[in-house]
Amino acid sequence: MIDDTRTVPQRLVAFLPNLRRFAISLCRSPELADDLVQAACERAIRSAGSFSPESRFDAWMFRILRNLWIDHLRRAKTAGPHQELDEAGDIPGPDGQVVSHARLDLLEVTAALMKLPEEQREVLVLVCVEDLSYRETAEVLSIPIGTVMSRIARARKNLARLTGIDAGDERSSGTKGGMA
Amino acid sequence: MTREDFDDETLMAFADGELDEATSAQLETALAADDGLAARLAVFLDTRRTVADALKPLIDDEVPPRLAEAVARMVERAEGGTGPDEQTGAPDNVVALHPQRRRPEPQRWFMQVAAGLVAVVAGVAGFAIGRSTDNAAPDAHQDLAAALDGQSSGMDVPLGGGAVLHVVSTFRDERGELCREYQLTDRGNSTLTIACRRDGAWLPQLALTSQQPADGYVPASSQETIDAYLASIHAGAPLSADEERTALSGDVENITGDGE
Repeated sequence: MIDDTRTVPQRLVAFLPNLRRFAISLCRSPELADDLVQAACERAIRSAGSFSPESRFDAWMFRILRNLWIDHLRRAKTAGPHQELDEAGDIPGPDGQVVSHARLDLLEVTAALMKLPEEQREVLVLVCVEDLSYRETAEVLSIPIGTVMSRIARARKNLARLTGIDAGDERSSGTKGGMA
Repeated sequence: MTREDFDDETLMAFADGELDEATSAQLETALAADDGLAARLAVFLDTRRTVADALKPLIDDEVPPRLAEAVARMVERAEGGTGPDEQTGAPDNVVALHPQRRRPEPQRWFMQVAAGLVAVVAGVAGFAIGRSTDNAAPDAHQDLAAALDGQSSGMDVPLGGGAVLHVVSTFRDERGELCREYQLTDRGNSTLTIACRRDGAWLPQLALTSQQPADGYVPASSQETIDAYLASIHAGAPLSADEERTALSGDVENITGDGE
């Protein structure tokens, strides 16, 4: 199907920006994301033999990176107090620079995204940002496609509520703790 | 015909272009007559666009030179065949992931620290939890062993005498032995330990003790050492809650079957 004859290491270089984008959306910190990307590249090169050339390289890489992230997260999460909501206020703009007023609404969206539970954010990013299909997303996450769909649906309703997309006048910050 | 015919997942699949043709046609008909349905659909259309607008531009960020160079080196090594065998996963190619890594050659440094600590543990704390002959606190060891046998990760378990056990995660090492990472807080000291189950007893492999404020927060440096150690023993991914339950009950049964 896919006639890409490049090796895994060769493809990695071209794929770095995508990988980094996905990593940042998962872990919300560019520094941590870079470590994550580097670790994922090392693992990918090491297990290049398990990549079948007819499958999607992006899905394979996302899966590796996401598994590394989960390893890290589970330890970090259970070892210390949860800090997600506090840290969500410190999300940098996409370029890490001071942003103009016009981009504030995007920052607001990003901040809302980062308040979503981990499992909802990752499905949302894979589908809406990385443009994977539900099925491909299910494969990356090793969960049933039905679970993917219910998670993305919940994620989007939560996001709509957090950002006011759902047109209600309920934009109070009091909603941030109310989602499942 | 009614709005109840279309649940959120169906509306979302339509918004994402993943709904089958027949259902799409029905939905389109219904949408024309039902503003409420259209508003529900709009949430899914809008959120997709909004999320894409917010995050897609990240791809235009310059990849930091440090990362690009590190990956370029890896690629060169793999392509040139001068590095470790890419198929077999040579140990020096393994990295631990830790948050604040900023040193140029971090793995080697952490590995040395971790190796040194293992030696310390083997020398000073070479006891088996649950089989200790330490007369001072045999009950405490039994309690800890029992808790490690049965408690799920992520829970705080009081062990008596004011000690609190917090099991961080469960995983298997490269030999397939069941291991657990846990934090034991007692009288202002907090010890982060990795113990693996062997012959019915939990054998500590690595233990880091630090003076703790009451909140029991683990310093980042301890976590880095733990991560480096986990990488050095080729620790598998933490087990999920279900896997953990099965592994704990399975391993314990095997052991009692051996006549413990």
